[in-house]
Amino acid sequence: MRRFALALPLLAAGLFPGPGRADVVFVINSMDPGIQVVDPVSRAELRQIPVLREPHHLTLTPAKDLLLVGDSGGNEILFLDASTGEVRKRERISNPYNLEFSPDGKLLVVTGLRRDQVDIYSWDAASMGLTLLTRLRPGDMPSHIAYRPDSKLVYVTLQGSRSIAAIDLEKREILWNLQVGREPAGIIWHNGKLLVGIMGSDHVAVVDPEARKLERTIRVGRGAHALFPTPGGGPIYVTSRVDSRITALDPVSLDVVRTYEVPGGPDCLSFDEQGRIWATLRWNRQLGMLDPATGEVTTSPVGRSPHGIFFRNRSLVQARNETPSAPVER
Amino acid sequence: MFDPLIRLYDQFTSWLFQTVVQPALYAAGMMEWADDAFSWMDFFVFGIVQVVVVYAVCRPLEAWRPVERWDDRRVVWTDVVYTMLARLGLLPLMAFVILSGVQAQIAGWIADSGWVAPTLETLIPALETRPLIAFALYILILDFGEYWRHRLQHTIPWWWALHSIHHAQEKMTFWTDDRNHVIDDMIAALWFGGLALLIGVPPGQFPLIVIILRVAESLSHANVRLSFGRFGERLLVSPRFHRLHHGVLSAGEEGRNYAVLFPIWDMIFRTGDFRRDVFPRTGDPEASAALVTGGWWRQQVEGTRRFLHALTRREAR
Repeated sequence: MRRFALALPLLAAGLFPGPGRADVVFVINSMDPGIQVVDPVSRAELRQIPVLREPHHLTLTPAKDLLLVGDSGGNEILFLDASTGEVRKRERISNPYNLEFSPDGKLLVVTGLRRDQVDIYSWDAASMGLTLLTRLRPGDMPSHIAYRPDSKLVYVTLQGSRSIAAIDLEKREILWNLQVGREPAGIIWHNGKLLVGIMGSDHVAVVDPEARKLERTIRVGRGAHALFPTPGGGPIYVTSRVDSRITALDPVSLDVVRTYEVPGGPDCLSFDEQGRIWATLRWNRQLGMLDPATGEVTTSPVGRSPHGIFFRNRSLVQARNETPSAPVER
Repeated sequence: MFDPLIRLYDQFTSWLFQTVVQPALYAAGMMEWADDAFSWMDFFVFGIVQVVVVYAVCRPLEAWRPVERWDDRRVVWTDVVYTMLARLGLLPLMAFVILSGVQAQIAGWIADSGWVAPTLETLIPALETRPLIAFALYILILDFGEYWRHRLQHTIPWWWALHSIHHAQEKMTFWTDDRNHVIDDMIAALWFGGLALLIGVPPGQFPLIVIILRVAESLSHANVRLSFGRFGERLLVSPRFHRLHHGVLSAGEEGRNYAVLFPIWDMIFRTGDFRRDVFPRTGDPEASAALVTGGWWRQQVEGTRRFLHALTRREAR
């Protein structure tokens, strides 16, 4: 009781690192299943949010106030308060494996990996409302998502079809499919090109979406998976799940500038304000932190098969609605 | 208390996946199945754990207080072969490959209709934050399904033609649990897996539920003079309870004590026999020599013949 009384002034002064005030890491454990909120300093678990079945990916709303977590096995999207981690809403959505808002913030595209579907939803921030506009079936195992910056087109990787599909968001129809390699996974828009991680091989495919042509490949490591541009224009980091490494690409030339060996099958990445990289290590049930300056990797245990990750900097809470939208870290 | 064991298990599965399974998938061009393989690799590892745990629990009990003693244990080795095939993931893996394909199709049709299949937790929202209670309910529902599958095995002639392989064993041990015709195993996997999908059992919990049921079933077949007492016998299926089901006077439609885990189903449907002092001889007096003493292959061939005869409305027994 005395200890509690002593703690009261500290609590009132905000000196205890409550989830809303400090940096936190959201880790999505796909096989436990649940969402862990972790203190990046002590690596202690601050909160555990139970999820129905099999969550994989998450995305930040355009206003940066909510995190949407897709539970693909549970057919549900959870709406979490990005500041506190509180569950604000649960909505029944068919097979939400991966999800991403359009750059203009009006649409949410959701891929259903197991149901071979790509759903386009309209987003109403005021009511936290999602309305299904159309469902498309561009091919086998739709996985990751990238938008053209003007929000008119979205590109989806099709892991089972060895291709990417381009979808017109105004007409809501499939424009074209292009073969890019075995089991394409991650995809990003970068300087007018599409960069695609070819998981069944060891490279990133560079695609010219206007010419609808595979331009070249960049060797990074077996099981090339997902790509993550550094906020602010630094290197592009690529995870390779078989060779278990993270490769840094020069953002202009796309040459490999450095390779980091990271045991455990690095999958998704997120960045903190010091430029450090936080990674889910799928096969080792670990959260990893890579300092790209030194190459040092530290790890801490999380749940089984951790997949999606989001490092929420404390400044995000303060700067919400004041700064232009940055790329969502996934 | 379990943390070191869990860590050891995780380290082993992580090593196995990263050094064997994932490189093999990569070489075969099947990396799109990597996530599923990681989940279902548990079946293989759990299978090894099951065999070890079941042996460690049941074998000392059988040595301690056997109901029967035999000099010649050759027919028991046939049951060991059955166990290795069934528990090391071969049959469950086949069932999963078939089921996942069927499920994807069904789910696609459902998704097209705009309707999303419910789960137990969405029907009872309070379970969303009580995973242990949800887990217990899933086991209870699946056990109920197993009770009725077992009853139908004894009631439908073609199904009994397959299931009689299981009942033909006159030297019943904990290995006998897996003594089944492969068609019977496939039906069982479809029945059990289908029900699990229908009620929305979380994929991650499914292997654990399978293990709980299988360890309980192995123990119930053990050659041990063991009863759980007046109340315990009504809570969990014991070796005594299940031996009555395997008794020579209990084969075919004369069956009793069908429950797999919870005897409550036999109490509700009035098929329970709770005489605690009865440990009968086991076997099916009408089974052919091939079913009683044949090896794995001979029993499978004989079971298939009887199954086809029963299907064409000829006498199966």
